[in-house]
Amino acid sequence: MEYIGERLLPGQIGHFCVVLSFVAALLSMVSYTWAMSRGPSPEHAGWMRIGRGAFQVHAIALLGIIGTIFYILINKYYEYHYAWANVSDDLPFRYTFSAFWKEQQGSFLLWCFWHIVLGIVLMRRAGRWEAPVMAVFALAEVLIGSMLLGLYIGDVRIGVSPYDLSRYVLTDPDAKAFFQHADYLSRFTGNGLNPLLQNYWMTIHPPTLFLGFASTLVPFAYAIAGLWTRDHKGWLEPALPWALFSGAILGLGILMGGIWAYEALSFGGYWAWDPVENTSLVPWLTLVAGIHTHLIARHTGHSIRGTYGFYLITFVLVLYSTYLTRSGILGDTSAHAFTEMGLGVQLVLFIGVFATLGLGLWIARMREVPGMKEDEPASAREFWMLIGAMVLLISVVMITGATSLPVVNKIATFFNPDARKWALEDPVAHHNSFQLGVAIFIGLLSGTAQLLRYSERRWATYKRTFFKHLGIALAGATALTALNGYYLQMNGLIQHWVLLFAAMFTAVANLNYLFTVLKGNLRLGASVVSHLGFGLLVLGILYTGLNKSFISSNAFAMEGLIEGADAASLNRNVLLLKEAPMPMRRGYQATYLRDTVTGQTRTFTVRFDQLDSVGNPQGTPFELSPNVMYNRGFTEIVASNPSTKHYWNRDIFTHVTSLPKAEMDRDFARQQEDSLQYDTYPARIGDTIYTKKNYIIVKNATKTPKHHDYAPQAGDLAYGLSLDVHTLDDPRVMTAEPMMYIRPGQGAFSLTDQVNVHQLKFRLSEAAMERVLRTEDELVYQPIPMKTGGTYDFNGFAIRFDQVEKTIQHPAYQAQPDDIAIAGRLQVTAPDGRSATAAPVYLIRNNRPFSLKDEIPAFGLHFRFENIDPRTETLTISAAKATHEQATVPIDIAEDMARSDYIVLEAIVFPGINLVWTGSLLMLLGLALGMYRRLTS
Amino acid sequence: MKKSHIIAILVAATGIGVLISASKDVTTYATFEQAADSGSRVKLVGQLVREHPVEYNPEKDPNYLSFYLSDDAGAVRKVVLRAGKPQDFERSEQIVLTGAMKGDIFEATDMLLKCPSKYEQQEVYIREQS
Repeated sequence: MEYIGERLLPGQIGHFCVVLSFVAALLSMVSYTWAMSRGPSPEHAGWMRIGRGAFQVHAIALLGIIGTIFYILINKYYEYHYAWANVSDDLPFRYTFSAFWKEQQGSFLLWCFWHIVLGIVLMRRAGRWEAPVMAVFALAEVLIGSMLLGLYIGDVRIGVSPYDLSRYVLTDPDAKAFFQHADYLSRFTGNGLNPLLQNYWMTIHPPTLFLGFASTLVPFAYAIAGLWTRDHKGWLEPALPWALFSGAILGLGILMGGIWAYEALSFGGYWAWDPVENTSLVPWLTLVAGIHTHLIARHTGHSIRGTYGFYLITFVLVLYSTYLTRSGILGDTSAHAFTEMGLGVQLVLFIGVFATLGLGLWIARMREVPGMKEDEPASAREFWMLIGAMVLLISVVMITGATSLPVVNKIATFFNPDARKWALEDPVAHHNSFQLGVAIFIGLLSGTAQLLRYSERRWATYKRTFFKHLGIALAGATALTALNGYYLQMNGLIQHWVLLFAAMFTAVANLNYLFTVLKGNLRLGASVVSHLGFGLLVLGILYTGLNKSFISSNAFAMEGLIEGADAASLNRNVLLLKEAPMPMRRGYQATYLRDTVTGQTRTFTVRFDQLDSVGNPQGTPFELSPNVMYNRGFTEIVASNPSTKHYWNRDIFTHVTSLPKAEMDRDFARQQEDSLQYDTYPARIGDTIYTKKNYIIVKNATKTPKHHDYAPQAGDLAYGLSLDVHTLDDPRVMTAEPMMYIRPGQGAFSLTDQVNVHQLKFRLSEAAMERVLRTEDELVYQPIPMKTGGTYDFNGFAIRFDQVEKTIQHPAYQAQPDDIAIAGRLQVTAPDGRSATAAPVYLIRNNRPFSLKDEIPAFGLHFRFENIDPRTETLTISAAKATHEQATVPIDIAEDMARSDYIVLEAIVFPGINLVWTGSLLMLLGLALGMYRRLTS
Repeated sequence: MKKSHIIAILVAATGIGVLISASKDVTTYATFEQAADSGSRVKLVGQLVREHPVEYNPEKDPNYLSFYLSDDAGAVRKVVLRAGKPQDFERSEQIVLTGAMKGDIFEATDMLLKCPSKYEQQEVYIREQS
């Protein structure tokens, strides 16, 4: 079939670029490899040139791929599945980046992009290491590039092309039928981006994290280069700044993920030991261990094997993390992962190639790598650094093992389909308890090692200095432990005290080292900054973890309602009725003030007051605005976004955990409305209606009602009642104004009104409108000739004709040119002394007379302006009085309406969250500082 | 024997010890029957039984959710979770629970949902007429 309007050129260009970049990377890899195997010769230079050229062609082709995808996304070419699945007409431009790397191919491209940036820097800077390092880079590009190929070899598909057309990919029956139309594109619109990803973290977190991933390839490549060239010491110098850079950037990427989770997702925390988080942390830990052995190797010449091993495993672990997040294997255990695309086998192959290459070469050359000739004295710094690296390795094994249980299960099921599946009973508690031990060791080791010197040969003389500084550190740590322990809720657990002490120890030891040994020279103090950061991070973790408290609970309001409630800690949610202040824990009081809808987002404003022990306000009240996002049809909620109040020492974190079901699900709301039991009551102005629990006074009726869902239009016939609602046990008077209207050509509409606090709902049915319309037909008008200023009697009412008005305010009157219109203002006094006015209109339009009636509903009086006799200056007004029955309209009232004006809120106080951020940033700053020093010296 | 070797052995021994003690935290996915037999805390996978009522009445208690779950062996039991109801609950394809049987009721302390991705499969083909 010939499809109309499809723009296939960008896809063809893009696909050409995919193939070109793949082939060029392959050529580059082969050329660099051959260049390696030849000594200095013209041939070597030739292969180097080809390797470089091919890598540059690869880079340009890759930019071509990225460019065409952006072109497709920005122009919203929905014939491409990539555009259909990730953007929509209403998606703001600023989320195009998020849409680009949300998909597997986009994130692979982002990764490749950083590889080419780093590769081009290395091409210029790596010197004699260029050939082996770039060969490894090109190999990585070949393997990642293959993920985009979308080629079939027999029935085996290699990679998934980002240029697949929607009509090939969408294959459910509805879609198939839809694509039978040649002009489908004119009616085809994009699916849009998941609202959870529509925030700026999604714009900045992935590029940082992928730069971190990409940068781990540099130490890997240098390690391979060292093993390959057998120059086991030479690579250490150029690789060190890269390793430090990688540590800083990868760490920053992970930290950003934590901040994102904390700020924008409803986790209620910054770290959840989610597999995706774990598998990005683990390579960082091996990298940091590698940096430590690397430093040992540079200062003493030992630990080169360990450095090789750590750098090689780091990149393999990055690949493993890629496999876990992209293959769909985490399914049950992770809250976030990529859409599964069937790339699992290719990803395993990717890991296999790099693991075999790295570990194979490592083992093969193990024996020739120079190692220790003599024993390390325990008084030397490297001794304790090495133990620290081993502790990190234990941590890595623990985290990886636990996170890999789904992989173990998959392998077990492969051999035995009925194999029992393993899982951690409580992952968070498990990881916390074991990593706590790791952190204790790291704290103690990083404090002690800093006070020692590399290759200590004069321990006898240095001993005194060491113990002096150690004494200062221990004393400082003891004091700080006591101080913080006073504020921390340790729950009597010894391990928390030990952890606190270890953190304080490394902080004091490192600060002391900076000021006494380094004389405050920060340039030399990169490690001090990192270790101090570690101490602060641990302190922050202790504060947020132990002192975090759910304040969204009310022991009194909830008492007796919870069946067998055991642990108070489980009561984390509180129900807030609109405008009803709710006292919560720790002196906070929350009031749900209002909700506002903009686009698909509904924002709830909640005011927080702080009360002292006797209930007097203290501190400054503040407002928080958590929101929920609906899908396009407003039929369900797709995201709940938190809102946080920041103080220097604590945060108050809130998010909406639930809404009335009617507010979340439109179908349910309709069902609920249908099943609501209404009773019909007669309503006449001035009457009081007694329901089961309330009494309602009918205040007035109007033909020009107001309602928040009603936009008046010309030709509408509308009718509304205003009611005062009283309840016996509540002195407040509430009002309700139900209405209905008939819109010509569209039908009759009833707009209900409700009084939430009394669970009352009011509705005017068609019977009410019929009553109003019928009354007009049934009325018997009696003409009364009047003169201006005269008073006339009608059924006991005194009607005085005040004046003739030229300015018409009649609600049904719409001025037209050449109209002649006058209104007669009538002052009516009832027998009981009440008075009111009416102003019926006499109108001549196109030489034809019209009369626009007016009425006084409270008296049941109706008036028409019949005619004017200019000769006698007599004006004829017809008056009619509705009977009791005619003045009574039926109104439907439902009691026991389900309340829909509440939110269920979770509110958490996080103390010390800023310590977590500051500590983490200092750790990374230390790495960056170390890199800067190595690059400038 | 070099001191570093002793340290290496100690580190390895600690590592093994840690791993053994960590293995206690590992549990298998159980069925309701196995959970009732063992009486201990287990992980359990199943599907929400939509024919039975889901009871969540935040006006009464925002921290009480009860529903019926069918485990992998097909057994159906009532589940009680003392927490709020997640927004995706009714659309879940699969539910992973941690908890223990108490009588006929499974008392869950933790729940993880697997939901069809809302934005991947949504059928929005037709441009709205405007």
